[in-house]
Amino acid sequence: PEPGCLQTWAAHSRALVGRWTTARCGGRARQMRRQQRDEFRALLLSIRGLPAALPALPLELTILYNSLLFTVGASDSAIKQEPEGIRQGLLRVLEACGACGEDLGTEELWQKVLQEVTVEELQAPLHRLGALQAAWWLAASQLGSVAGLFQLLSAAEDLGRSPCGEVQNKLLSVIKAWQVPPEGASLPLVQSAKDLKEILCTAAAFLQGLQELEAGNFPTALSHLQEAAGGFCSKKILAKIYPCLGCCAQQMGKPQTALQYLKRALQVDFQCLPALSHVAAVYHELGEIDAEMQALTLLYEALGNNPPAAASSSPYFLMQTELLVHTPVLTSLLRHHHPSEVKYLLAQRCLQYGRVADAVEHYLDFLSLLQEGLQQQVPLDGSSPLPRIPEVFLEAASALEQAGRHQDAITLCEEVISRTTDLIPQVLRVEERLEQPECPLPGAGLAGGLLSQKESLCCLAWRAAGYLHQGWAWAKLGESKEAVTQFSRCLSDLLRVQLHGSGIKWTENFQAEVEVLQKIRLLSLIGRGTQFLELGRHKEALLDFQHSLQISSGDPAAASYLVQALWKLNRKQEAAAQWQKFSQGSPGEDGQQQGQGRPLPLYLVSCLEQAMFPHSEPLARSIQDYLGTAAQDTS
Amino acid sequence: MLLSEQDQFLSYNGEVLVFQLSKPKRAEEVGDKTMNLCVRRMAFNRDTKLFVQKSSGVFSMGASHSKIEMICCSCTTDSRTGIILPCILMKQKKRNNVKYFLLLLHSSNQFEPSFYFKLDYELKEDIRLFAGPSLLWRHANKLFYISSNTRVVQSAPVQLSSVVWTGEIVGEGTVVLGIRTACLPETEDPDGFSVSDRAIWGSEFFGYAIQTQKMLTGTCFMPHAYGRVVSSVYVCKSERLKKQLRISLVAVTHKNQLIWFQNGVPKGVCELPYEKPCSVKPALTSSNDLLFVVSFASGNSCVVQRRDSLQVASKWQKVKCVLVDDFIGSGSEQLLLIFKDDSNTDVLSTFKITDLGEVNYASGINYKHDVPAADGLQENGLLTVRALETRLQAGWTSVRELQQHLGLQKRVILESCRALIDLVEGRTHILPNSKEEGLVSLWDDVENPADSLSKETSLASEVPEHFIKELWQRVVGDSLVVGVKLTESFYLSLSDVSLSLVMDQDFSSISPLIKCQSKIIKLNKAFSALAVSSSQIEPPPKKMKLDLHSKNDLKKEFPKRSSRIQLDGAKTVTAVTSLSPLLAFHRVRCVVLLHARKQNQQNDSLQQSKKITVLCGKIFLSLEDISNGRYSVKMLRDNSYCTGSMEDTLAVLAVSGRFSFQIVSCDCTLTPVSSWLLGEMECTPFKECQDNIFCHKAGNVHGTIFNWALKNPFEGVLTIFCRNLTVLFQCLHSLGRVLPPSCSVNLLRSGSKGVLIEQLALALEKEMLTLKNSLFLKETKAGNSLTWGNESAKKINNAPLVSLLDTEEGVQQFRKELQNEREESARSMNRTMNGALYQKMALKIAEAQLSSDMMVWRLA
Repeated sequence: PEPGCLQTWAAHSRALVGRWTTARCGGRARQMRRQQRDEFRALLLSIRGLPAALPALPLELTILYNSLLFTVGASDSAIKQEPEGIRQGLLRVLEACGACGEDLGTEELWQKVLQEVTVEELQAPLHRLGALQAAWWLAASQLGSVAGLFQLLSAAEDLGRSPCGEVQNKLLSVIKAWQVPPEGASLPLVQSAKDLKEILCTAAAFLQGLQELEAGNFPTALSHLQEAAGGFCSKKILAKIYPCLGCCAQQMGKPQTALQYLKRALQVDFQCLPALSHVAAVYHELGEIDAEMQALTLLYEALGNNPPAAASSSPYFLMQTELLVHTPVLTSLLRHHHPSEVKYLLAQRCLQYGRVADAVEHYLDFLSLLQEGLQQQVPLDGSSPLPRIPEVFLEAASALEQAGRHQDAITLCEEVISRTTDLIPQVLRVEERLEQPECPLPGAGLAGGLLSQKESLCCLAWRAAGYLHQGWAWAKLGESKEAVTQFSRCLSDLLRVQLHGSGIKWTENFQAEVEVLQKIRLLSLIGRGTQFLELGRHKEALLDFQHSLQISSGDPAAASYLVQALWKLNRKQEAAAQWQKFSQGSPGEDGQQQGQGRPLPLYLVSCLEQAMFPHSEPLARSIQDYLGTAAQDTS
Repeated sequence: MLLSEQDQFLSYNGEVLVFQLSKPKRAEEVGDKTMNLCVRRMAFNRDTKLFVQKSSGVFSMGASHSKIEMICCSCTTDSRTGIILPCILMKQKKRNNVKYFLLLLHSSNQFEPSFYFKLDYELKEDIRLFAGPSLLWRHANKLFYISSNTRVVQSAPVQLSSVVWTGEIVGEGTVVLGIRTACLPETEDPDGFSVSDRAIWGSEFFGYAIQTQKMLTGTCFMPHAYGRVVSSVYVCKSERLKKQLRISLVAVTHKNQLIWFQNGVPKGVCELPYEKPCSVKPALTSSNDLLFVVSFASGNSCVVQRRDSLQVASKWQKVKCVLVDDFIGSGSEQLLLIFKDDSNTDVLSTFKITDLGEVNYASGINYKHDVPAADGLQENGLLTVRALETRLQAGWTSVRELQQHLGLQKRVILESCRALIDLVEGRTHILPNSKEEGLVSLWDDVENPADSLSKETSLASEVPEHFIKELWQRVVGDSLVVGVKLTESFYLSLSDVSLSLVMDQDFSSISPLIKCQSKIIKLNKAFSALAVSSSQIEPPPKKMKLDLHSKNDLKKEFPKRSSRIQLDGAKTVTAVTSLSPLLAFHRVRCVVLLHARKQNQQNDSLQQSKKITVLCGKIFLSLEDISNGRYSVKMLRDNSYCTGSMEDTLAVLAVSGRFSFQIVSCDCTLTPVSSWLLGEMECTPFKECQDNIFCHKAGNVHGTIFNWALKNPFEGVLTIFCRNLTVLFQCLHSLGRVLPPSCSVNLLRSGSKGVLIEQLALALEKEMLTLKNSLFLKETKAGNSLTWGNESAKKINNAPLVSLLDTEEGVQQFRKELQNEREESARSMNRTMNGALYQKMALKIAEAQLSSDMMVWRLA
C-alpha cells in the first residue's frame, strides 16, 4: 500500500508523544517542551494545509489537543488569551461535515458542533478538546461558559441523566459528571484527559472559593476551598489554597482553625511566607503578642535569607492548576511582604505593646532600610501596611523619646520639620467652597483641591507633631526655655489653619485631620503650660491651661494643671472651686470622650502619656486640707 | 510609450523584454487593419539606477476582421538549434474559428513565426509553452499539445482536472504534472490510519511524459492528498538514483501555504500572507539562500526564504509582475518587481530590484514598500532578547547566591573572631541562640487522635465472661478459613496467638492434626480523613500533645464516640487450610484450638508468661454444604458499598497475600490513587469497615482488597490483599500508569518504617534490660558471700538520667556512677551461680536477641 498522509501524520504524532513520554522527566524539560510545541505546531500546520476530512479529523483534533498542551506547558506563565486553535479545529470539523459556523461565537460554535456532529469517531477527541476549552475559560474566570460546555458534553453522552440537583455547586458536579473518553493507543496524548479533568475540578473549586471569598460568603468559600484542597493539585497550588482557607476561617471568626490551615500551608511549602504573615495577623487578632512577634521576626528573617526564588514547576504536567488560577484576589492574599514592611510592622507592634527598646531598634533598622532606597523596594499600592514616611519618623521619634534618647528624637523631628517646611502654605484656608457645585472644574477641581488641602493638613499635622515631640523632649532634658520655644512654634504653626464653614461634607472630609490638629494643639498648650510652671511663669501657664480647657473642656490633665497653676498663684479658693468642679464632672465626661474619639495616631500616644498630670495625689491632698480648714473657718 | 494591461514582460539574459501590441500610427489614418507587435529590450543601468531601452523590434500582422491578442510568453528551447529563445503565443480570433500562432524572437530583434494552428474553441485553461517550442493546454478535462516538429494537435490519453506544472524531468523528457479525480482500486480496506489519501481526499497526482507518452506515478512528486489544494508547482530538482526518481519541488496551495516536498514527502510548510496564490518560482540570490517568489491572484507578491525553516521574508502589494534574473550583472539572481502604477505610464518606471540582501534598487518615485521587515526576523529578535533575559536572570541568581554565601562566610568569620577574642580575654564564649526556637505551637506534628483511639478504646472494659465471641468458617477458592473472634481485653492479655485444627473423628491411618496457617487481622473502622477538613467546629486553642504512654489521659481526652467503634474492638484469629484434602473425607468434624501465651496481670515483660490452650469449638464440613454455597463468600455491589459480612471480609483477607506499598509524591497530591481505586479498579468500600475496599473489576483482579491510608496529601500507604503475585503485578502495572512519574512506590515488608523502627528500639531496649537484669539477679547475690551491701540501693534507674545530663555537675555525677558500675561488673565476673538459673538466663537473653535480630531483618 502506498504511504498516505494520514499514516505519516499518525506516525509523526506517535513519535513526538513517545519522545515526550520518555524525556519529560529529564533535566532539559523546558527546552524540550518548546521544541515539542514547535514540532506539533508544524505538524498541525501541515495537516491544516489540506481540506478537512472525516477520517483524518480524530487525528487532527488529537494533535491539536497535544499542541495546545505544549503551548501551555512551554509558556509557563498563566494562560491568558483565547486559543485560536480550538476555534479553527471546530470550524474544520464543521467543514468536514459540510456545515459552516464562521460567524458564530465560540460558545455557540461548541453548541453547534456537539449537537450536530454525531460521528462516533469524533466524540472522544472533541470531548478532550472541550476539556481544554474549559481550561481556557476557567483561566479567564468564565465559569458560566465552563458549566455550559460540560453540560453539553454530558448531555451528548447520555440524555437520561438528570441535571445536577445541587445548584450551589453546579459547576463542580457537571465537571465531575463528565465521563472522560477512554484513551486509545492509536491516538496517544501528552497529558491524559483524566488528569485534565482532575485539574479542572481543583481549579474550578479554587476559583469558586476565591469568588465567594471576595463576595464575603465565607462558609461557601470555605467548602469550595476545602474541595480544592482535597483535589488533585501540586504542592505549589496546595500551598496557595491553604492560606486562602486560613484567611477564610479567620474571617469567619475561627482563628484556631485558621492557624491550623496556615500551619498546613507551611508544612506543604516551607517557603510559603504569605502564610507566615497571615499567622502573624491571626496572632495579632488573638492578642497573643509573643507569638505574633515571633512570627513576624521569623518572617523577617526568612525574607532576608531566602529571596523567594522562582519555583520550577513540575516537569511532568503540561497543564497545571496554577496556570488556570490567577485572580487579583489570590494575588493580594498571597502578596509577598517586603522585608522593610515586616520590619515596620515589628517596630509598630513593639511600640504599641510598649516594648520600647525593641521598638527603637526596629525603627532604626527600618530607617536604615529607608536610606537604601525604599521606593524601589516597596510597592506603595495601598495594600502595604506602611503609613506615610513622616508618620514613621514621628513614631520612631516617639519610641526614641520613650527610651530616653531625647536628643535623637529631637534630631528625627527636625528631619520631619525641615522636610515639610516647603509643603505648607503660610495660611491654609480650609473652606466649604470646595463642595459647592458651581466649582469651575467639577470633577478634577474638587478632587484635586480636596486632595491638596488634605495633604496640606497632613503635612501641617506632621510638622506640628514634630515641634510637639521636640518640646516634650527638651522638657525632659530640663531645657524649659527651649521647650517653650518648640511648643510655641507648634502653636503658631497650628494658627495657620483657618477653618471656614461646618457643613456635613466638610466634617466628613476633614474630621480626622482636624481632630488630630486639635489634639496636637491641646497637648502643646499643656506642654507649654507645664514648662511655664517650671520657669515660674505661673500666669502664662494659667493662660495656656485655660486655653487648653477651651479646646477640650473636660480634659483631666489640663484641668489638674489649671488647678495647680491657680494654687501656685495663691488663688486657692478658685483652685478649690475648680478642683471640686472637675472632680465631680470629670468621670462621666471623661469616659464619654474616650469612647467616642477615634484612635489617636500612634505617634501622639506617648505625648498624651507625657501630658498626664503627675502629682494628682499630693495636689488633691493639699486641696482637701485647704477645703477642710476653710470649712472649719466658716463654721 | 503608453503602458497597457496587455503588455507582457519577460526576462531574458538579464534584460527585460516588453512586448506590446499596437496599431501603427500611419495605419490609423489609412484604415489599414494591420497590427504591430513591438518588443523593447530594456537593460538596467547601475549608474542612473534606471532601465534604459537598448533596442527594439516590430512585427506586423495583417488583422482584417479579427482581433489579435498576446496570450503568453516564455523562454523555450528552439529544438533546431538548442538555443533558448523568447517565444510568444498569439491569438487571432476570426468569425468561426481561432487561429493561434507562435513567434520566436531572435537576438536581432526579428520575430520568426514558428507554427500556427486553428481551433474551434478558445484556449483558456492551463496553457503552457515548453521546449520545441511546443504548447499544451487543457480543454474539457483533456490534455492537448502541439509542437513545432509535428505541427499537429495531439491529445493525451488522460482525463485531468488541472495542470500544475510542465517541465523537464531527467530521463523522461517533458513531463506534465496533473491532477485528476482518484480512481480507487476496489481492494481498499479503510482500516485505521492506513486509509490512502486517494480514498480520503478523492484526488490524485499523475505525471505524463509527452515524448514517451508514459504515465509516471504521482507519489514521487507529492502525496495524492495535496491534489485537492495545490494550485501551482515548481520542480526544483529531479534526479535518478538507482532508477528511482528523486524530486524536490515547491508547491503553493489554495489553503495559502507554500510547501516544500522532497521525494514526495512534505518537508516544510509556510503560511502565505495573502489569499489565492497562483504561481511560484525560485530565485538563487547572492546570499546563497533559495528564495521562492509567490504571486497571488490579487496582484500581491511575497518571497519565502528557505533557511532552517520556510519563512516569509518580504511581501509587496500591487505588483504587476515579478521577474527573476541577473539584472544588475552581479552573477546571481535578483527579483525585479514591476508595480502597477496608474499615474506613471512609462514602461518600467516603478520597479524594485532586490535580492533581500545587499542589492536594493528602487525607482524612488511612487513606489511603496508595504511591509518593512519580515515577521520571522522580528520573532527571531524577540526570541534572542528572551534568551538573553533568561541568561541575565540566571546570572543574577548566581550572583545573589554568591552574595549569600559570602554573607554566611562573613558571619562565620565574625563569630570565630569573637570566640577568639573571648578566649584571649578569658571569657567563656556563648554561642548565639538561634532565634527560630520557641514557636512550638506552629510546628508540632500532626497526630491522628482517631487512629490511636481505635487501638486503645476498650482497654478499660471489664474482664469478659467469655473469651471467645464467635467461631465461623468460610470457603474461599481452594481454602478453608476458620475464624475465632476474641474479645479485645482477652486478646490483649495474650501473645503469640495461633489456631490449630484437629480432626474429631478417628481415622486411624491419618494424623488428626491439620496443617494450617494462622493469621491475626486487624480491621480499623476509623476513617483516614484529614482532621481539619472534616471538622467544622473550632479546635481548642492549643493542641493537646498526645502522650502515647499514658493511656489514661488519652481516654479522658477523647470520650468514646460511638458504640460501633467499641464493638469493633474484637479481634479475630483465623486459620487457613487447604480445603480439598479435607473434602476427601466427605464429612469432617474438626476441633478448633487456640494457643497462646497468657501474660500476667502486670505488664511486666520479665514475668514469666504461661502457655495456654483454649478449646474454641467445633466445626462441621460437608461436601453438600459447600455445594450449596453455605460457606461461600458473598461480595456483591450494593450502591456504592460492598455487601459482605465482616466474616466474609476477614476470610478473603486471610487467604490473600498482603503487600504494603508506601507511595510518596514529591510534587502533586495523591488523589489519582483513590480515583484509580474507585474508577478504573471499580472498587467499593465495605460497609462494615470502610477503609478497606473491594475490587469488582471483572477478570483476574476481581476480589482483590485494597486499603489506602493517606498520611498527608503527599504520602500514603496502599495495602493490597491479593490472591497471587500475578494479580499484584497487574494491579501495580495499572497503578503505575495512573501515578505521575514523580511518585515513588516502595514495598513495605511489614508495617511502615516508622513503626518498625519503634519496634526495633523497643526490642533493643528489652534486650538490654534482659541482659542487665540477668546480671543483677537477686539469686546471684544470695549465692555470693562477698559484701557489696550498699549495692541494692544503687539500682540503676533510667528516668533521672536524662535530667542529670543537663548540667555539668550532673554529667560528672553520671560519670562517677558509671565508673562504679564498671567496677561492680568487673567484680561480678568472678561470681558463681547455679546451673538452672544460668540456663534460664541464657534462654531469655537468646530470645531477646532473636526478637531484635528479627526486627533488624524486617527493617533491612
